[in-house]
Amino acid sequence: MGQLKLLVQVAFRNLFASWVNVIIGGIILFGTVLVVVGGAVVDSLDESMSRSIIGSVAGHLQVYSEKSKDSLALYGNMGGEADLRVIERFSDIKKVLEQHPNVKTVVPMGTNSTMLMSGNTVDLTLARLRDLYKQAAAGETPELRAQIDSLKTHVRQMIALLEKDLERRNALAAENAMDPADLRALERARSQEFWDGFEKDPLASLELLENRIAPLVTDGDMVPLRYLGTDLVNYQKTFDRMRIVDGTAVPEGQRGLLLPKFSYEEFFKLKTARRLDIIKEARDVNHRKIAEDPELQRRLKENQTQTRELLFQLDPLKTQQAIARLQKVLGSTDTELEKLLVAFFTMDDANFDARYQQFYAELVPLLDLYRLRLGDELTITAFTRTGYARSANVKVYGTFEFTGMEKSQLAGSLSLMDIITFRELYGYMTADQKDELAKLQEASGVTDVAREDAEAALFGEDSSLVAETSSGSIDEDAQLAGSSQARRQQELALSKYTQQDIDDGVVLHAAIMLKDPDTLEQTMVELQEASKKAGLPLKVVSWHQASDLVGQIILVAKLVLYAAVFIIFVVAVVIINNSVMMATLQRVREIGTMRAIGAHRGFVLGMVLLETTVLGLVFGAAGALLGSLAVKGLGMAGIPAFHESLYFFFSGPRLFPTLQASNIITALVIVLGVSAFSTFYPAYLATRVSPLQAMQTDE
Amino acid sequence: MTQLTAVSGANRPIVSLTDVIKTYTLGKVEVPALRGLSLDVYPGEFISIAGPSGSGKTTALNLIGCVDTASSGVVSVDGQDTKTLSERQLTDLRLHTIGFIFQSFNLVSVLSVYQNVEFPLLLQRKLNPKEREQRVMTLLEQVGLDKHVKHRPNELSGGQRQRVAVARALVTRPKLVLADEPTANLDSVTGQNIIDLMKELNRKEGTTFIFSTHDAKVMNHANAVVRLADGKILDRITPAEAQKAMAAGAEGH
Ligand SMILES: Nc1ncnc2c1ncn2[C@@H]1O[C@H](COP(=O)(O)OP(=O)(O)O)[C@@H](O)[C@H]1O
Ligand SMILES: [Mg+2]
Repeated sequence: MGQLKLLVQVAFRNLFASWVNVIIGGIILFGTVLVVVGGAVVDSLDESMSRSIIGSVAGHLQVYSEKSKDSLALYGNMGGEADLRVIERFSDIKKVLEQHPNVKTVVPMGTNSTMLMSGNTVDLTLARLRDLYKQAAAGETPELRAQIDSLKTHVRQMIALLEKDLERRNALAAENAMDPADLRALERARSQEFWDGFEKDPLASLELLENRIAPLVTDGDMVPLRYLGTDLVNYQKTFDRMRIVDGTAVPEGQRGLLLPKFSYEEFFKLKTARRLDIIKEARDVNHRKIAEDPELQRRLKENQTQTRELLFQLDPLKTQQAIARLQKVLGSTDTELEKLLVAFFTMDDANFDARYQQFYAELVPLLDLYRLRLGDELTITAFTRTGYARSANVKVYGTFEFTGMEKSQLAGSLSLMDIITFRELYGYMTADQKDELAKLQEASGVTDVAREDAEAALFGEDSSLVAETSSGSIDEDAQLAGSSQARRQQELALSKYTQQDIDDGVVLHAAIMLKDPDTLEQTMVELQEASKKAGLPLKVVSWHQASDLVGQIILVAKLVLYAAVFIIFVVAVVIINNSVMMATLQRVREIGTMRAIGAHRGFVLGMVLLETTVLGLVFGAAGALLGSLAVKGLGMAGIPAFHESLYFFFSGPRLFPTLQASNIITALVIVLGVSAFSTFYPAYLATRVSPLQAMQTDE
Repeated sequence: MTQLTAVSGANRPIVSLTDVIKTYTLGKVEVPALRGLSLDVYPGEFISIAGPSGSGKTTALNLIGCVDTASSGVVSVDGQDTKTLSERQLTDLRLHTIGFIFQSFNLVSVLSVYQNVEFPLLLQRKLNPKEREQRVMTLLEQVGLDKHVKHRPNELSGGQRQRVAVARALVTRPKLVLADEPTANLDSVTGQNIIDLMKELNRKEGTTFIFSTHDAKVMNHANAVVRLADGKILDRITPAEAQKAMAAGAEGH
């Protein structure tokens, strides 16, 4: 007892007796801080990511057919969608899976992706005009007529603007940059004669504008659309991270689409508004200054040079209103809208907040803020695995986001769709469905549209559709119209669906929520077995694996941390080893004296080991304390995600790491292990010091 | 002389060297340090080993102190032939039977005066804390350092340090105390004080002392002076004779 006390005292007093110890201590301190902070950050990352991934799409486990070619990648992988083998009847696997006592819910799923045209301004205006004509066909009212005329003026104004644009562009580019066919179409659309004859066959006239003029406007976007087809009601109950932002959920038994809020803002919002939003956030949240930030300056510049989208949207009446409002805001007498807009969008740090507010108060009411309005129907065309295009119209009910991942592009690019529509777009049909469809098709005369045609329909480049006609009376055209009519009927027939429909159909994969996530590994194995026994072999993967690349990132982060820790401690082992060796040599006489006086070798061994242990404990504890404070600080301030792609992993723009006891314990265990390990050899050498060493005289 | 025989006749010798040879090998050269040394020391004796530098004093003390082994011959301490003992047993013998006083004091620099003296007791693990304290304080009083218990060695003078070393050597109440030139690093007055202190403890406790020196004055208190030359015993004489011999030797040069 007394001996131990003495040893501890010797150890403590030796702690600062030598500068060597201070160096060892410094290394240990640094290592501990790194382990504590790094561990806490990685753990928090893991925690926030797992919460995000599990609670948004993945669930604890994902299952898919064992016969699949690829492995499941919920967030997509580089080469497109994973090729998964179809599971013919969801209810079959559901039954097997739900028998396991740890399975809480099974949610059917399928993911696919395609491209959407967000529609350009001319397209949208023409579509509105077409709607009005349709209404007028049922019975024209003076009110309708006034609206039609106003829109027509608007379209003519757009064409005038367009022509000016094109002339400007042509002057810049080499001669003949424009297709002569386009030029002729444009000339015709500009002619008084065209507009005079418009009312004779308004739909045919619209056709020309839609097919020849609208494509010349370049403000339409290709929007990537990744969608998850699922049992929406069940999905919403199971995945607590999902939250409706605008609009409503898709009503039970209805087809519908929910867009991620992020994509909706990114792809469907008026570009000018979106840019202002981004600048505002950069200023408010990240405290960036326009004056010092080239990126923000670029966005402001774009707002000045790309006023076209606004000009197009404004019909003559609204143009006058916009001019008046801008004149008032700017105190200007300029009468040209474009110049006023450029002046208005000339912003700096001083006037930004006021202008931002004025933009939303004065201009936005005159504009369509989003190119796609909630409640609108969206035509989605996707390719089946066999290469055929399939289209479906779905109503967009609302937007949603995943709590904690509001800013994440990765999480914000997956739309939610009812699984019935998904199946239709996916194109796989069971034998029963094929029969049923055959009957339906017989009744309506529908055939699948071949890929090329569909592509053309999608991208509006098929020359047969835009042949030089003013009448639009081409056969294929009619056929296309006819087929979409028929499809509509077919869709209507299937527009309501039941739980039975959901359960009896095809799925590509399914999410499983567990009652006890701690036994995840074991449950995985058991489910795999059970599915094999049932003759429906499934691959069962954890959320980590299911999220593929994304899930690996945390693994990579852990590896990097451990590698860094490992290297630091290898260096530490070498340095500590050498230092303790030196310290021992410096103390040969003292050790020899102790041996002469009667200290056994064990005592010397204990003394050296204890000294390093005390050193490790003292500096380790100091490091742990420092590390904890650092984590506390980081937990308060948050680690900023310096790029938006990190939002997903951080569950937001900042990661707020929390400290767990395990972080400190791990650090201390490692530190003590390392210091003990690196001391064994020098300690052994110390036991070999002869008592004769004490007898040597000083000289 | 009377004193010498009185003590020597008492009982078995505590140290007994018989035909001890010690040869050091320095590379290929063999350096004979002791060439057949025989010596008996009896309990309670206060023996001085004298002789010029290189005569083998230190070597002899190291063999008696069980920190080195003889090349041949028998070294027995407290009745045990040291050749037959293991490393561990030798250490125990040093711990329980022998006390050491070093020429350079050899105190543990990070420990206080008190702790340095207590050190061997802690190694022994025989006494409880109270007994330990009593023992340490008694000795510190005897060496006159009871006011300096909390001091560190580097806060003390050389003489004070050697007193601490004396206290440390005696705190376990060893039968035998070995001191190799304990006064060599001290001025003559202080050195004399240390020898006086040792003699006093020898008288009071009956502890056997063997110390080496080449200082004639220091031998005064010894009850016998064993003179060494070239690794052999020249003679065993009284301090008075030794002083006379040394004076003569000094004249001769
Ligand atoms: N470790 C050693 N290695 C080699 N020779 C030694 C060693 N120690 C002592 N000697 C030699 O042994 C002889 C006796 O030395 P020593 O016992 O130290 O004499 P003293 O203590 O009387 O001066 C000397 O010649 C000395 O050089
Ligand atoms: Mg010597």
